Amino acid sequence: MTVNFNNREPVYVQIIRYFKEQIAKGVFEPGQEIPSRRELAHWLKVNPNTVQRAYKEMENQGLIFTEGNLPSRVTRDEKILRSVREELIMEAVHAFVSTVRSINVPVEEAVALVREFYGKTGEKEGDRNDRSEKY
Amino acid sequence: MNKYLKLLNFELNRFFKIYLVLIVLTVVLQMTAVIVECRQYLKQANEMIYGMNASKEQFLADYGQMSFVHIVTNGWFMWSIAICAVTLIIYVFFIWYRDWFARNTFAYRLLTLPTDRINVYLAKATAIFLMVLGLISLQLILFPVEQGIFRAMIPDDFRQDLSTADIITFSKYLTVLFPGTLIEFVARYGAGLMVVLVLFTAILFERCYRFRGIFFGAGYCALAAGIFLSPILIEMFTEKVYLYPIERFFAEVALGLFVSGMSIFISRFLLNYKIRV
Amino acid sequence: MIEVKNIKKKFGRKQVLKGVSFTAKKGEITCLIGVNGVGKTTILKAIMGLTPYYGGEILINGKRINKAAYEKITFIPDAFIMPSSMKISEAMAFMKDFYAGWNEERARELLEFFRLKEEDRIANLSKGNVAKVNLLLGLALDADFVLMDEPFSGIDIFTREQIAEVFTSHLIEDRGVIITTHEINDIEHLIDKAVLLDEGIVVKEFAVEEIREREGKSVVDVMREVYRP
Repeated sequence: MTVNFNNREPVYVQIIRYFKEQIAKGVFEPGQEIPSRRELAHWLKVNPNTVQRAYKEMENQGLIFTEGNLPSRVTRDEKILRSVREELIMEAVHAFVSTVRSINVPVEEAVALVREFYGKTGEKEGDRNDRSEKY
Repeated sequence: MNKYLKLLNFELNRFFKIYLVLIVLTVVLQMTAVIVECRQYLKQANEMIYGMNASKEQFLADYGQMSFVHIVTNGWFMWSIAICAVTLIIYVFFIWYRDWFARNTFAYRLLTLPTDRINVYLAKATAIFLMVLGLISLQLILFPVEQGIFRAMIPDDFRQDLSTADIITFSKYLTVLFPGTLIEFVARYGAGLMVVLVLFTAILFERCYRFRGIFFGAGYCALAAGIFLSPILIEMFTEKVYLYPIERFFAEVALGLFVSGMSIFISRFLLNYKIRV
Repeated sequence: MIEVKNIKKKFGRKQVLKGVSFTAKKGEITCLIGVNGVGKTTILKAIMGLTPYYGGEILINGKRINKAAYEKITFIPDAFIMPSSMKISEAMAFMKDFYAGWNEERARELLEFFRLKEEDRIANLSKGNVAKVNLLLGLALDADFVLMDEPFSGIDIFTREQIAEVFTSHLIEDRGVIITTHEINDIEHLIDKAVLLDEGIVVKEFAVEEIREREGKSVVDVMREVYRP
């Protein structure tokens, strides 16, 4: 588990995004146990305090939950899980649109290209997704 | 107290290898002295009696009987004592400087132990003191052994048997190391310990203030000597005698204790507030 | 908490520290950053009472350094500090003998973690292994504060990775760490707080996550602003 962190963005925010991605991809399933803050700090090679902060934030957002002294788990709340997926999609679309718009590409052309390329790269991506889901 | 003893044990262990070498060297050199000296005497006797047909009485009249004083004034013997003395004097400095200048700067650890830093100083001083006493005891053990060899090698008629005390008195230089009375012994080695404490303080001045510290250290040594020797110095300069010998003795004891105490006090301050690693 | 308040220091005529102040909290990793010769090591030595300073004072949990504090604060210098004639096991025995807070279990764990051999003599160790033994002897103490002087300098990349692992482990957790470096890359994501030193003063003291969040800057960005003329 290695993540390339951006040095200019809070690491805890990047950890939260990483979690959301894993949830959206289905690597982290609803109700699944997540690593302890120390384990995660160890894997990601970041300060445990930062992981702690990310976990706290995710707990506040309802992304994860902790019962008593048990390890934290991914939420089972469908609404939140759906919103995570939506949020990630919206972020990606937003980034794509603003880039495409900045070079004056008409929406029809952009959509056509997206459709064309999505099919091509999707086959390869799909393979990889299948594999990662097994883990 | 506990940590002081641990430090003392540590310092003794650290010097143990060199110390062992010193002991072996002393034994070897002194045995050599005994054998070389006895052989030389026997050779002379043989040459005179068998080579030149002189009588035993004639030989003894010319050369006299051999006593153990011949041995302790032999070069090998005196070297053994000189080497031990010089090594320990060097070690007075080395015991500190090795902690700064050895491949690893052990001073970092030594000065961050959870104990008063003065214990480091006291442990080092005690270690030196015990090592001196150790060598002195070794000598006292060696005397009878060497005398045994001496008796075995030289026939009765050619030998003058002296007590250890007489040997020491007749050799002159050994009286420095082995004074005649217990009080003198305590006073002399007490003064020796004081000198070690003063030198340690001078070394600490150097370790705290580096180049400037050399002058502070030298100044401190001069001051300590001045205080300790003041009764004698005053009498020397005024050319009058103020004190009876017994009074002078007690004045020296008091001043010696004062100088030792002052050295410990100043060293404590230097170690706690001024030391540089 | 370690509070360094306005400390000054001269080497001969050169004023190395012109009034340095910063704080380091328990449970946080504070990093002193500055070019070589800026006085980072001197600051650590001053905290440990290993070099005199003037002007201000240094408080450890509100008190000046004393003998009891040496159980609570430990220094891991750049150079090795146990006699080179010792074996690792002897160095460990020495520590155990003198420090009430020596944690033998943790020492064993560190020995295994670093793959060090107890019977190895210190004189024969590589620079990387010396750094590991240094860390072992420091971290095996139940000390609240650990001062590390350039733990990543002059050692190979794998040792660096191993040492970096220590920072994310329970070996550091809940302690206060002050670490000095002139090279931030290895540890940018490991530290809580950066203290930038220049010309004998602290030019900037900041929480790294905060500066990323508030200003969108990396530690190196801030360093660039501060150090570039």
